Amino acid sequence: MIEPATRNVGPGAHAAPGPRRRALGLVIALVLLVTIFVLSVMIGSTSISPSVAWDALFRPTADIDQYAIRDFRLPRTVVGLVVGIALGLSGALMQAISRNPLADPGIFGVNAGASIAVTVAVGFLGVRDIQGYMWFAFAGALIVTLMVLALGSTRQGSSPVVMVIAGVCIGAVLGGAREALQLTNSQAFDAMRSWNAGSIVGRPLEVVWPILPLFAMAIVLGLVVARPLTAMALGDELAIAQGVRLARTRVLAIIALTLLAGGATAIAGPIGFVGLMVPHVARWIVGPHQRWIFAYSVLLAPSLLLASDILGRVIIRPGEISVGVVTAFVGAPVLIALVLRKRASGL
Amino acid sequence: MIITARTRRSAALSAAFLSAALVLTACSSGDVDPAAAPGDTRSIEADNGTIEVPADPQRVVTIGNTTLPFIDLGGEPVGLTAESESNVALLPEDQQATYASATSLAASADEVDLEQLASLTPDLILVQIPDAEFEAIEDELDAIAPTVFFSLDTEWKELADDIAEAGNTTDALSAQKTEFEERLASIQETYGPVIESSTFVDVIRWSSSDPGTFAIADIGCSEIARDDVGLNLPEAAEGADPLAWNSLSFEQLGELSTYDVITYPVDADGQPTEPFVPVVETNTWKALPAVTSGHALGVFCPGNNSYGSVIRYLESLDTALATLPAED
Repeated sequence: MIEPATRNVGPGAHAAPGPRRRALGLVIALVLLVTIFVLSVMIGSTSISPSVAWDALFRPTADIDQYAIRDFRLPRTVVGLVVGIALGLSGALMQAISRNPLADPGIFGVNAGASIAVTVAVGFLGVRDIQGYMWFAFAGALIVTLMVLALGSTRQGSSPVVMVIAGVCIGAVLGGAREALQLTNSQAFDAMRSWNAGSIVGRPLEVVWPILPLFAMAIVLGLVVARPLTAMALGDELAIAQGVRLARTRVLAIIALTLLAGGATAIAGPIGFVGLMVPHVARWIVGPHQRWIFAYSVLLAPSLLLASDILGRVIIRPGEISVGVVTAFVGAPVLIALVLRKRASGL
Repeated sequence: MIITARTRRSAALSAAFLSAALVLTACSSGDVDPAAAPGDTRSIEADNGTIEVPADPQRVVTIGNTTLPFIDLGGEPVGLTAESESNVALLPEDQQATYASATSLAASADEVDLEQLASLTPDLILVQIPDAEFEAIEDELDAIAPTVFFSLDTEWKELADDIAEAGNTTDALSAQKTEFEERLASIQETYGPVIESSTFVDVIRWSSSDPGTFAIADIGCSEIARDDVGLNLPEAAEGADPLAWNSLSFEQLGELSTYDVITYPVDADGQPTEPFVPVVETNTWKALPAVTSGHALGVFCPGNNSYGSVIRYLESLDTALATLPAED
């Protein structure tokens, strides 16, 4: 299979940097992520000195501030890391499948499916803790995405356009149903407020471990379909000529993005812009090569998420702002600026 | 009869006193007024003006926050708007029975079924809901029965006075007030030195609280502890939102170590309330000086908008303070 490594693909694409520069950029992105990860452990809504944070991790005692680091900030940071990776990669997959640089996983109804499932769990089944309703969210996301997949599949093959339309329609219907249910059950509305805003506060590591194997599987699937997706960006006919099996590639990619986006949404609630913006930026940096886009997205998305979360902890001290709110405020203007740039990426 | 005079309605005071003088000549202040003949009325000064109400109302409907205070005073509404199940569960059994025997007019105060309300043929309607919601149904309510409205900023003691006055349950109110004052005096006398020398903080977590967050309570029962009992509790700055409205992340639990005594919510059996359990399970909470030294007190707060529930709160606070180590 021929990888269109040196060709500019799609409207607005620009000359892609060489492999050495892409690798260097990847290292920089990794350093950025590590730095933000450390800052996320160090900075919070209460003042704890860096030395205490260091001791909390490497010389643990029963000090109260050390508990704050080990029990709250570290798990929160790890949750942010995992959710960020999942959102970034799922967004990259979504944009590749739909050939739409402004697509995000929500278009396939992931958020709508997760939200209505959580509403039912909280409002009518009495589920109150995040460990309980995250599985409803995950199941809801999976079911709705499978419905979208089924609607978008015809005898002639799968159609991204039909899938997107189906996802938008199902999302609208489920969104209305969710609001109706919440209006009739104020307790459900209250309990879901934080989840709806998108937050990584109060999620113990126990919510992450069961989903990690699914994420690992999704990442492997993502790597498998990266090369065919790059070829598909040239058009279906050219991709077929290069031996790409379109339907198989799309199905595998959708399974991967659903596992990733569904899991991330289940843990943190719907967090916008991360899955949309980061792959867009990654494509702008590295060009149309999906493997590189995936790699950059995996590093840059958690950086954005954690940086936004840090910001949310300190802006209105001692209170906090949900990370989903911050990413929207940070993401929207940045995305507008990117879109307005002539060199903004296309597919 | 005594006329309620609301300070911020000074313009209506003279009319209220004039009405009071007229009514006083005809009525006594008993819960059951033997002298009241059918058709006798009294004038009540409320947030919707001076209202003529039956001297001894028999078919009272309560809307919004008036339901539980009216039942607490021994009132038996024929119709009411639903309270949350959790609030009803905190009532004494006899009050739960009273609540259950009334016709429920709506799941919440802003959805009152006016047709059903009218079918109950009430002779008095007591309302405490947001002003805008009341204005939307005020004319319809007035057409059904005399309607006495209290705005949400009515302080709980004033609300109890007003409801007792309108519902003709002033004897029950007097008994509750006496018990309240006695309980307060007992706590202040018994624990005076501790109250004087200690800093307190009341922490809270609701079922609607975001995961991983708690709040410092300065409203509700905490307000009673601070303003009536005299505990040295944190309070929001003048004009600022209550501290309780500000969610704090669990990592800030460590900042509670600056207080001598922590009070936290427990149920009637003395166990931490379900929403608060995640807090007491944290290592930070377990390591707090107040917790390790026995200065973290679970206190039961069954409500803070009627004397009966507040008295039960004071009983729990009394019991909790008694568990403080002897050196205090």
